Amino acid sequence: MTADPNVSRPEVPVRAGRPNRARRSRQFRILATHATLMALSLLFLMPLLWMMSTALKPTDQTMADPPVWIPNPVQWGNFSEAFSYSAKDLGYTPFLVYGQNTLFVTILAVIGAVTSNALVAYSFARIEWRGRDLLFALTLATMMVPGPVLMVPLYALFKEFGWIGTFRPLWIPAFFGSAFNIFLLRQFLRTIPMELTEAAKIDGASEWTTFSAVILPLARPALSVVALFTFMWAWNDFMGPLLYLTDQRTFTLSMGLQFFQSQHTGTPWNLLMAASLIVILPVLVVFFFAQRVFIEGIATTGLK
Amino acid sequence: MNVHRNQRVGILFALPWIIGFLIFLAFPLVSSLYYSFTSFSVLRPPIWIGLENYRELLTDTVFRTSLANTLVFTAASVPLATTVAIILALLLNTKVKGMAFYRTIFYIPSLVPMVALGVLWLWVFNGQYGLLNQGLGKLGLPEPAWLSDPAWSKWTLVIISIWGTGNAMVIYLAGLQDVPQSLYEAAELDGAKTLSKTRHVTIPMISPVILFNVVMSIIGSLQTFALPYVMFPGGAPARSTYFFSMYLYDNAFLYQRMGYASAMGWVMFAITLALTMLALKASSRHVHYEGG
Amino acid sequence: MNERFLILAAILVTGTYALVGSERAASRQVGSNRIVVTYWEKWTGEEMRAMKDVVSSFNASQDRIEVRYLSISGVAEKTLLATSGGNPPDVAGLWADQVVQFADAGALEDLTDLARAAGISEADYIPAYWETMNYKGRLYALATSPGSAAIYVNRDLVGPKYDTPEEFPKTITEFDEFVREVSIRDRQGSLSTVAFLPRDGWGLWAMPYLFGGSFTEGDRINVNGPDDLRAWKWVNSFAKRFGTRETQSFRSGFGNYSSPQNPFLSGKLATYADGPWFANFIRLYNPKVNWFAVPFPYPDGRPDLAGYTMLNLNTLMIPKGSKHKREAFEFIRYVQQQQIMERICIGQYCNTPLRKVSREFLEKHPNKYIALFDRLARGERAVRPLQMGVAAQVGREVGNAVDEIDLGQKTPEVALNDAQRRLEELWQSYQRQVLGR
Repeated sequence: MTADPNVSRPEVPVRAGRPNRARRSRQFRILATHATLMALSLLFLMPLLWMMSTALKPTDQTMADPPVWIPNPVQWGNFSEAFSYSAKDLGYTPFLVYGQNTLFVTILAVIGAVTSNALVAYSFARIEWRGRDLLFALTLATMMVPGPVLMVPLYALFKEFGWIGTFRPLWIPAFFGSAFNIFLLRQFLRTIPMELTEAAKIDGASEWTTFSAVILPLARPALSVVALFTFMWAWNDFMGPLLYLTDQRTFTLSMGLQFFQSQHTGTPWNLLMAASLIVILPVLVVFFFAQRVFIEGIATTGLK
Repeated sequence: MNVHRNQRVGILFALPWIIGFLIFLAFPLVSSLYYSFTSFSVLRPPIWIGLENYRELLTDTVFRTSLANTLVFTAASVPLATTVAIILALLLNTKVKGMAFYRTIFYIPSLVPMVALGVLWLWVFNGQYGLLNQGLGKLGLPEPAWLSDPAWSKWTLVIISIWGTGNAMVIYLAGLQDVPQSLYEAAELDGAKTLSKTRHVTIPMISPVILFNVVMSIIGSLQTFALPYVMFPGGAPARSTYFFSMYLYDNAFLYQRMGYASAMGWVMFAITLALTMLALKASSRHVHYEGG
Repeated sequence: MNERFLILAAILVTGTYALVGSERAASRQVGSNRIVVTYWEKWTGEEMRAMKDVVSSFNASQDRIEVRYLSISGVAEKTLLATSGGNPPDVAGLWADQVVQFADAGALEDLTDLARAAGISEADYIPAYWETMNYKGRLYALATSPGSAAIYVNRDLVGPKYDTPEEFPKTITEFDEFVREVSIRDRQGSLSTVAFLPRDGWGLWAMPYLFGGSFTEGDRINVNGPDDLRAWKWVNSFAKRFGTRETQSFRSGFGNYSSPQNPFLSGKLATYADGPWFANFIRLYNPKVNWFAVPFPYPDGRPDLAGYTMLNLNTLMIPKGSKHKREAFEFIRYVQQQQIMERICIGQYCNTPLRKVSREFLEKHPNKYIALFDRLARGERAVRPLQMGVAAQVGREVGNAVDEIDLGQKTPEVALNDAQRRLEELWQSYQRQVLGR
């Protein structure tokens, strides 16, 4: 496994003398870390294992009482059945069409969030201007009003813009920043020493150069966190698509998952779980690759 | 430094948000504040009734119950989840092989869709054959009726909140990368052990990020909605899991009392604001900003 | 790495955008010379299939109107916001409970005259369902699939003494006796099978009606009358008989309603109250259960109270602001034909709301006891949804009061009085603020 770029980095020199004992104690520590991580992994893997197990069962074994962990027989066909669920009724494969819609909204939202929030957070964290702190306080405050009470006026607003029935309410706002991301990035940018940017400015760099050449590279871990969260949020968003989309073909995956639940005809849990797994797989992959960026940080940018 | 230039550049950089705020937030926020002084059934235009909604809140026993539930949940879950997330992030920041896998695994609970999560937890906490009680039974510990005993139902949700700290964990992990290696080296030269390095170097250095997570988790806990709504319809048993946001949502969409719900929303705003200020004030001595 | 990512993202965005764009253009072209009626419905899964079929056959039956069907969970929230925003669907498939809230707000088209002109009248419907669609003398909705409640019995768990519909207890006293005999404890003294629990299942919420009581008295809320008290005390007698904590821990082992963990399907409960659709859950999750269905028992010496059942009804309504009211009604009217209605109701495992029922419907229906559910719905003792703007709150408050009684937190009298007081206030403020009284 070479995913961790830090592994190859030279270790901090250990205290002089007794090199053997030091190495042994280091090995022991690594072993103990592995043991702890593995034990905890089981706890955190549980939902995935459970979903996997349910996804492969025949219907009458799903959530049986007493519970069954190992499906018998193992029904791999559930995945293809889930994939084409409702396809005949709708005339298209919802997974493909909804996947495309979801991808479209998600990619635009991520691009919007990464570009807009970095700028705003830079202003809040590293430029002194009158009214800044007041605006920042206001920014925090907007998160404290529960969402449901804003839905009616927001709907009216989007209707005024003619956005109902389009994807626009789902991604355009991302290009104007969000309080959560601004706050997050601001906190990160404030951990970067002031001397770094002041040195650049003394050398005659403009504010924009300082931002793009000095700060942005340093903020990559934090920016990737923003990208990841936005991806997750847009990918899983349910309320937005529910309220603003009006054509079944423009639905997103999170809404497609609802097709598996019904009031009077039962829920095929195995298919629902298979479908859920298909839906979270891309996010899992994105996370696996994104997490490298969180930890490369200073080590690779070579500063400090 | 040229103050005027700063003023202009600062606003310029913040412009996307200023515009976004004016377009997408200002009107909804002002409207909802106005609704809170009206009787508003959503389907008909609001009718001004002054302070009547707020007056009704004062005597509403369900409002009181839901608020108490929410505050208890917040008081329990914020410190617990914060501690667990920091410990996990530290653990995931050690340099052992296969870390990419561990990190991904620990993040999984934050990825599972709500429809799956709800049934999963009902299954884990099932009083008779749930995983948790099977484990407790083997250890000879009592096996509570997690879902049907009002004394335990809230704690079910606290436990789940600890387990779903993936997002906070990721933020800490990113924050840990900003701690200059030189500080650790200096501490080691002074003979510091791992624990004391954590206490005296790591924690102060990531304190801005801790503050962020604490504030966000206060806001998040106070607005907890989706999971209890799915797991405990109507806040059963006996409203022991009926949270503020659930009552607000029911008022807004089930009872069609948007005016009343808006009043609740602004009360929630005031409470959140007060608690956040408290956190900011308490932290001001401990949070260390490199950037000054 | 950075550039490659950007390029990749650019390709994805353009690709997706192009595809989505082309698709939408395509969907716009279909039936462009027809009048488009948008129809939002709550159904997903198999229920969606049943309705989708009907929509297709309506579209095929003529060439003037095209109904666009949107299946969506959360249809209530969506319709509410869209209607308030002046952008409603032409037809909304909501629950009967919402008829009142929407009608009180003046947000529904009055269908009375349209129905009369189309020859749809009271004579076509089972009385209780007809009353549900009407409010204050006006018709605001028309039916789709309904429901009625009866008791499902697991033949293998009730013993030879009770294992036919004829031998099953008819009165409350006999029923209590049955519960005593059939409930079983294991060696440690914990409950393993319970004959019946009046808090688990559907159709139990209107329990006071079973004892001759009700939730209202004229225009007043009355959830704490003597019959209400008697009903909830009977309900509480189960928790008392088995022990509050014991019942609680037994119920904590019940899993998801719609799964093999359903207490009736897992053999924890020998009888279970539910609507006709439950037969499908049995077929789906545990087809081995050998069952029959019976009516609820009635209080001793009161055969006039026999035949209790609780009803629900899915409805179609036209929100105010619909741009194609007449075309929308055309579709609704199409659904009301006996043959179409029976197709929907069979597809959704429900009884029919129509007075006329074909023999084929009763014979082909996947629930072998459909005749019982049908008969109960037609009966005098059928309880229809409360027609009150605060019906949802009545449900919540009463449910909570019964929780408190069962948990021993309050005496029945105190819990019901508290609920009554709260509901009176809510009803008064609804009357003042919404009805303008």
